[in-house]
Amino acid sequence: MTVSFELSDDLVGYGREIRDWSVEAVRPYARYADVHHAAPDHWRQIVETCPVAIGTHDRRQVKRQPAFAEGKWVRDLVVTESLTYGDHWISNVIGAGIGHLVVKLMGTPEQIDKWYRPIVDNGGQTAFGLTEPQFGSDTSMVETTATRDGDTWVLNGTKMYCTYGGQADYVVVFASTDKAAGPAAIRAFVVPKGTSGFHVAKFNEDKLGIRSWTTSELLFEDCAIPVENQLGWTGGDGDGPGPAPRTRSGRSGALGALAQNKPNISATGIAMAQASLDIATDLLQEQRQSFAPHRWSLVESDLENMNAALGRARLVNFRAQWLQDLQRANKTEASVAKAYGPPTCERVIRRCMQLLGPDGASTDLLLEKWYRDVKILDIFEGSGQVQRIIVGRAVFGGADRVA
Amino acid sequence: MFELDLSEEQIAVRDLSRDLATRVLAGAARDAETNRRVPDEVWRQVFETGLTAPASEDHGGGGIPDTLTHLVALEGLATGDPGIAIAAMWSGGSALLVGLCGTAAQQYAYLPRLASDRQGRGGVALYEGFGRAPSEYQTRIEHLGSGTWQVAGTKVAVPFAAEADPLVLVGTDPTTGELRAALIPPDAGGVAIGPRPEHGHLGLDAVPLHTVTFDLTIGPGQLLGGPGAAAGLLVGAVGRLRLSVAAAAIGCAARSVEYAAAYANERIAFGKPLAAFQGVSFLLADAAIQIEACRLDLWRAGVRVDAGPIGGLERAVSHAVNYAGSVAASVTRDAVQVLGGHGFMRDHPVERWYRAAAALSTIDFDPTYAAFAPAL
Ligand SMILES: Cc1cc2nc3c(=O)[nH]c(=O)nc-3n(C[C@H](O)[C@H](O)[C@H](O)COP(=O)(O)OP(=O)(O)OC[C@H]3O[C@@H](n4cnc5c(N)ncnc54)[C@H](O)[C@@H]3O)c2cc1C
Repeated sequence: MTVSFELSDDLVGYGREIRDWSVEAVRPYARYADVHHAAPDHWRQIVETCPVAIGTHDRRQVKRQPAFAEGKWVRDLVVTESLTYGDHWISNVIGAGIGHLVVKLMGTPEQIDKWYRPIVDNGGQTAFGLTEPQFGSDTSMVETTATRDGDTWVLNGTKMYCTYGGQADYVVVFASTDKAAGPAAIRAFVVPKGTSGFHVAKFNEDKLGIRSWTTSELLFEDCAIPVENQLGWTGGDGDGPGPAPRTRSGRSGALGALAQNKPNISATGIAMAQASLDIATDLLQEQRQSFAPHRWSLVESDLENMNAALGRARLVNFRAQWLQDLQRANKTEASVAKAYGPPTCERVIRRCMQLLGPDGASTDLLLEKWYRDVKILDIFEGSGQVQRIIVGRAVFGGADRVA
Repeated sequence: MFELDLSEEQIAVRDLSRDLATRVLAGAARDAETNRRVPDEVWRQVFETGLTAPASEDHGGGGIPDTLTHLVALEGLATGDPGIAIAAMWSGGSALLVGLCGTAAQQYAYLPRLASDRQGRGGVALYEGFGRAPSEYQTRIEHLGSGTWQVAGTKVAVPFAAEADPLVLVGTDPTTGELRAALIPPDAGGVAIGPRPEHGHLGLDAVPLHTVTFDLTIGPGQLLGGPGAAAGLLVGAVGRLRLSVAAAAIGCAARSVEYAAAYANERIAFGKPLAAFQGVSFLLADAAIQIEACRLDLWRAGVRVDAGPIGGLERAVSHAVNYAGSVAASVTRDAVQVLGGHGFMRDHPVERWYRAAAALSTIDFDPTYAAFAPAL
């Protein structure tokens, strides 16, 4: 096989269909979602008009997405960028979240059947509860505890900035089963919505951007769940309390799940930046006569260079997810993808606003909104700095050489 | 004489403005943004500094500072809130232009009132977008004969367009090809003020900004400095106004570095304060390095403004403004980054600085000063 960057016509067409729909049906509510910190009330009707099957966070969709020659993860990149090109408020009502990815990575076959399968087959939404007030990047600092009490685990602690936390079907909560045993004793637990002792302390934060996404603070107060909600639970020796075998520690599962999703994060940023660039290009074309010729030629080269930069960001995403589809190691490539795209997407949006002049930053356009939204992408699910630590380990040949 | 220290007076101005920024502006920033107007009490306190209506003592003011002092004051205030600081400066643009370029009669007609009205607003219709520098402004102030002048053109980001008294419009005199300015009273016909964006502006909501289209005739008394005005004075004053946007951007950037550094000293990850990681400390060190170069560039341009209309002034101003805009936007971005997820919350001011700096960078942007560069 020779190297080829051509996606199949089918996938390209599928993406285009979703993207057109997103512009037509989703974008008109982008400002609403920002101002009201919520999707429009009739979001269900909007989702129903989508020409392709997408589940919703609370109502299962039986139809499955078609398969393509490229594989699931590459398809998902195309779908993610296309869906969010109109505006990404749609993610908050249809996005599956990433909690179920932890189940897939760490769960027993029974747990996978119970918690992972239904989400991918029918839709639904899951949350990932790792971050706490005192830490984000340093996941060894988990303070939330899980204590065995008969056939239950009892959780106590606070999780913050949990995406979809206040609405998801379940939250995968990371908690220490034995503080003295250090980070290896951190395990992952499935806590279904409505479990007694699981409180949504704050449904949504007041944020710079992605305001319609639910970012919740969750409180666990003597929250008891069955023992088999501990991911990887077999009732055998490797189960908590205490340190887990490396492959089954909560942290390795958490980080593995994040790795799978990293390129999708970048794809969301590319959607925002490409949308900004396309809007700016149209407006600038209309204003062409108002620019001095020497300046217009620089505007044109800026536009071209920005498109090229976004194109490169797509390439590193595709590479990471192509490896993922082939089940080949892609840890470094996934970090490359997440580190590479988002900061350049920020710059593209900013430059587009600048080229448009002061009106470019007015709320009459969506660029200013996307400039606020895009900033999170280089922070959550492993910041740009954290991705560099991971890439650095590959460059220098070992974990111990890079901190 | 080669001298890189500020004068004692300038240092005093810097310290006073920073003090006011910390005591008053910082706490009022959110209110000003939410209500889309600087609170009256805050405006009154900024008024006392003279920034909202700089005027000579003869006209009842506290004196017109030289450009560098003016920029130092603005940078200081912007450490509290760039939005309120630039609102004050832009409002003061009317008094400044009348004081520096007006006839004696115009000064007498406007300045005593501006210098004593604690809630009065001025404003200058300056920018046109499309990367244009003042020498390229297409707004015309043209003599039609028999003492009548035609004023026509569209201006963007006009502060206080609806209330400024007077609004000073800067355009080009097609006969001479040089800059000219006109004094437009608030009730003038032929002035179409566009709507204020319904949901505000990315980061400059303390000041109303409008697109304004002018198409009116005026008499010679409304020409700033009269029909025979010396364009050179206006070029300098306009340079000062343009540089003030850079000063606000730098103040905002400098403050965000301080804030992020304090946070990084306190927040622990991987057993150490964040500041102990070079991935964090180098971001802020790079910021400090750029701010230093940027501020010196601004100061030099400010000093050149006062040296009179020497060649290359306009380009020097454009360099300073465009560099400051891009530095402040990237520095404030990095400040959010250093706070991580917490920086994304409105509980901390870094998100506001991120918005304000980006918004300031759009005001007087010209793509010829630096091409788009991807982050990596
Ligand atoms: C909108 C939103 C949604 C979120 N969703 C979720 C979610 O669903 N689930 C969840 O668990 N969390 C979630 N988070 C939390 C997010 O993952 C964290 O904010 C992120 O991991 C960063 O952690 P922190 O905020 O504590 O920053 P810190 O860890 O305190 O880091 C601050 C800064 O220091 C840098 N830094 C830290 N350590 C190093 C180092 N060793 N070397 C160099 N630089 C370093 C970081 O890169 C960052 O720039 C969300 C956050 C937000 C804002």
